[in-house]
Amino acid sequence: MSYDALRRPLRPLARIIRAREQGENPDDIARENLRLRHEKMQKKARDRAESRLLVLGLAFVIAFGTIGARMGILANTDPEEPRAVASGNPIIGQRSDIVDRNGRILATNFDTHSLYAHPDDLIDPANAARELARIFPELEAEKLYADFTGSRKFLWVRRQISPEQMQAVHDIGDPGLLFGPREMRLYPNGPIAAHILGGASYGNEGVSSAEVIGVAGVERHFDEVLRDPANEGRPLALSLDLTVQAALEEVLAGGMTLMNAKGAAAIIMDIDTGEVMAMASLPDFDPNNRPRVLTEGDQSDSPLFNRALQGVYELGSVFKIFTVAQAMDLGLVNPDTMIDTTGPLRVGGFPIRDFRNYGPELSVTDVIVKSSNIGTGRIAMMIGADRQRDFLDSLGLLEPTPIEMTEGRTGQPLLPGNWRELSTITISYGHGISVSPLHLAAAYSSLLNGTRVTPTLLRQQGPVEQGPRIVSAPVADRARDMLAQVVSRGTASFARIEGYTIGGKTGTADKPREAGGGYYDDKVIATFAGMFPAEEPEYVIVVTLDEPVETSGPEPRRTAGWTAVPVAAEMVRRTAPLLGLRPQVELGSLDGVTLTGSRD
Amino acid sequence: MSYLEYQVRYVPSGLRKLLYLNWPLIILLTAVACAGFLMLYSVAGGSASQWMEPQAKRFAMGLGLMVLIAMFPIWFWRNMAGLAYIVSLVLLVAVEFLGETRMGAQRWIDLGFMRLQPSELMKIGMVMMLAAYYDWLPLKKVSHPFWVLVPVVFIMLPVMLVLAQPDLGTSILLVVGGAAVMFLAGVHWAYFATVIAAGVGAVVAVLESRGTTWQILKDYQYRRIDTFLDPSNDPLGAGYHITQAKIALGSGGWTGRGFMQGTQSRLNFLPEKHTDFIFTTLAEEFGFVGAFALLVLYGLIILFCVISALSNKDRFASLLTLGVAMTFFLYFAVNMSMVMGLAPVVGVPLPLVSYGGSAMLVLMIGFGLVQSAHVHKPR
Repeated sequence: MSYDALRRPLRPLARIIRAREQGENPDDIARENLRLRHEKMQKKARDRAESRLLVLGLAFVIAFGTIGARMGILANTDPEEPRAVASGNPIIGQRSDIVDRNGRILATNFDTHSLYAHPDDLIDPANAARELARIFPELEAEKLYADFTGSRKFLWVRRQISPEQMQAVHDIGDPGLLFGPREMRLYPNGPIAAHILGGASYGNEGVSSAEVIGVAGVERHFDEVLRDPANEGRPLALSLDLTVQAALEEVLAGGMTLMNAKGAAAIIMDIDTGEVMAMASLPDFDPNNRPRVLTEGDQSDSPLFNRALQGVYELGSVFKIFTVAQAMDLGLVNPDTMIDTTGPLRVGGFPIRDFRNYGPELSVTDVIVKSSNIGTGRIAMMIGADRQRDFLDSLGLLEPTPIEMTEGRTGQPLLPGNWRELSTITISYGHGISVSPLHLAAAYSSLLNGTRVTPTLLRQQGPVEQGPRIVSAPVADRARDMLAQVVSRGTASFARIEGYTIGGKTGTADKPREAGGGYYDDKVIATFAGMFPAEEPEYVIVVTLDEPVETSGPEPRRTAGWTAVPVAAEMVRRTAPLLGLRPQVELGSLDGVTLTGSRD
Repeated sequence: MSYLEYQVRYVPSGLRKLLYLNWPLIILLTAVACAGFLMLYSVAGGSASQWMEPQAKRFAMGLGLMVLIAMFPIWFWRNMAGLAYIVSLVLLVAVEFLGETRMGAQRWIDLGFMRLQPSELMKIGMVMMLAAYYDWLPLKKVSHPFWVLVPVVFIMLPVMLVLAQPDLGTSILLVVGGAAVMFLAGVHWAYFATVIAAGVGAVVAVLESRGTTWQILKDYQYRRIDTFLDPSNDPLGAGYHITQAKIALGSGGWTGRGFMQGTQSRLNFLPEKHTDFIFTTLAEEFGFVGAFALLVLYGLIILFCVISALSNKDRFASLLTLGVAMTFFLYFAVNMSMVMGLAPVVGVPLPLVSYGGSAMLVLMIGFGLVQSAHVHKPR
């Protein structure tokens, strides 16, 4: 039995005794034994720790190797892409064009350049500043020099420069002056359709490109569509016809001057599809150089204000046809029913009068033809407030139009807070309710069509889905006939023109005082709302003049019959041929005319 | 073996401690930081004041802090470990409520003179805590399930908070760093094998679930994975960083374009060019040679830490040193892999080179602890 074996284990007691007998200290043995065990455990722990460290070290080496190898591979690959990037290819797709219904350009893009400086790279800052101030007279040499020698690393000089200016800056030959590509929105027709297009400006700007964003009108409403690179090369087609739009604006501008109006708006709309063929508001602006928004005063005085859409006015007697058509549709009256027109009609102590006394009674047709407030009011009393409101709602007159422009939502109709009997009667002839000219055009289209027509600025492909019924077809026909009679023998007799038949209704409404409390005696909104050709209407036309005065007679005349109607008549005369309508000409005798095709 | 169990026969005292600092490590750290200054000077277009000077000032402060920490004995820091961990945890909770949101994630606390990222502080706090834990825990119990669960809780608490910020990159770094310390402490390998197997299983499940009714991740998260796997799919979106970085590396070639000659980063193609993606500038201007030299410097730092840890018989000191080395390693390994398209883009800076205060400060604190362990090692 070896000594070692003897020492371990210490217990049992017999062994301790034996060790003591041999003259050894058992405590020493116990301590020695503990130490050995401790060392063994430590060695085991260290071995394990070292093996663990070895594993981790291996992981380190693998990671280092992978990263190093990757570096080598990347360093060895040919860099191809930087060249493509450095050559300045535009990464961002071009904003889509906007065209009219026949593909004529309304808005497009123009490539230009921006000019910026890296002052650190300038060779001769003084010379560069002097030369730049010469090329761009609006820049000051001292200020440029201060910027070039200051602490700035980067500096815009001009956001947009012309090719000539670019060449001149090239000729300075300073490497610290740099050009960036720029895309600019261009409206080749200038102010034509300005309010509809709106305008564009720059969003985020960088040296290699700048974001073009729509700020108003169609540009804003369809901003995402126009910017979507997926739509690049696919223009946005509007419902407008550029030639009709141009003619309409020309006539409207002339009419506004002739009638001494301070503003004007006109719309021509397709009666079946609701497509806006032309829409204008005066005064207007050039979207290439959009004026700033007014910071004080009334926004409606700004040229940016779109009267056709944002301007809500009491439009007056043009509403009468709605009342009469609804009464006919409900079976309450027919065109020959006689209506009591003895005046004044008193409602809640408020007297309602006619422009002139039309005698004790008129037929329903004559109520429209002669424009009797009392007669219309009596018909409205038969209809009642609820049914009237539902009918006007079905025509879309109580909500903003769904037209595709950001400004559309701001054309919020003004309605009476409390739609009682008095409101019912005044609304029946167009007072106490304010809507925009576009509302009116859409409502006339709906009424004459018999089904709801939704106004739109987009060219419609194919037939449009029929909206909900408004009135029955015979009622629509009778309403159309009444409007034709207004022109042939009523208040809109100036709308009789050669070649085309027009039907429509006039409306002359006193303007409410801004301060509140009643109406002006000498300021009116004169409106003509109608359709052409009268027998088979294809288009609705609305013309509104703001504060017109016709001064050719002995005393100033303001009624729509004298102001809005002649303008509308001229507008139809000019635009109807452009819209493809054939004039109806009664052939006179052919004396003196030689037909070249026929020979003896 | 711990200081309680044997005599500290000789520990330098007073200023003599300076002589016993791990000087090669300090020189290596300074060399890496200097490389960083050069790059920051270059990406600023030759301006020292924009990024280089603040960075140099911070590094000088960091060096001072490191030496100061090294002056305190390592057993003092062991006693502070619990406190450091709890303070970091409290700051992490505080950042949830008081933090400043930047670039879509809530990570910063404004201290007035600098913005602190508590998640960075936690990297050191957690390593200290785990090292102290395994120093205290008898060796026999290391692999006992309960005593394995305790450090797992230590790791998962801050990880959950960081994930909530949300900061996936830092949480992964925390998990891997903590697991490495546990591994070094001798926890049975079967635990790690199980977790890794479960992790692989989870990844497979996540990928398989795409488009099915039990889809685990959100669609945008899958797109991120797609972008990582093939950055050219989305060259203008999330893949932009990676593609541009690869171009920069490629155009650098073997020897680079030369100092201040980099185009990619100077021409502003790269966002984050002075922070997470500064490696691209280095690679473009100094090529493979420069990039590899930086990798070697990093490797040497790790090597000196490992040597110091091996020669240290104190369990807390060696685990702490290795834990700090691991954290440092994860920083640059993840950053470089990310830039070179080996790993998905997560916000991890290149240590001591990227512009930024929090990571620099935390790393210098960590190396201060490493120095303290080195100075006060049982001799």
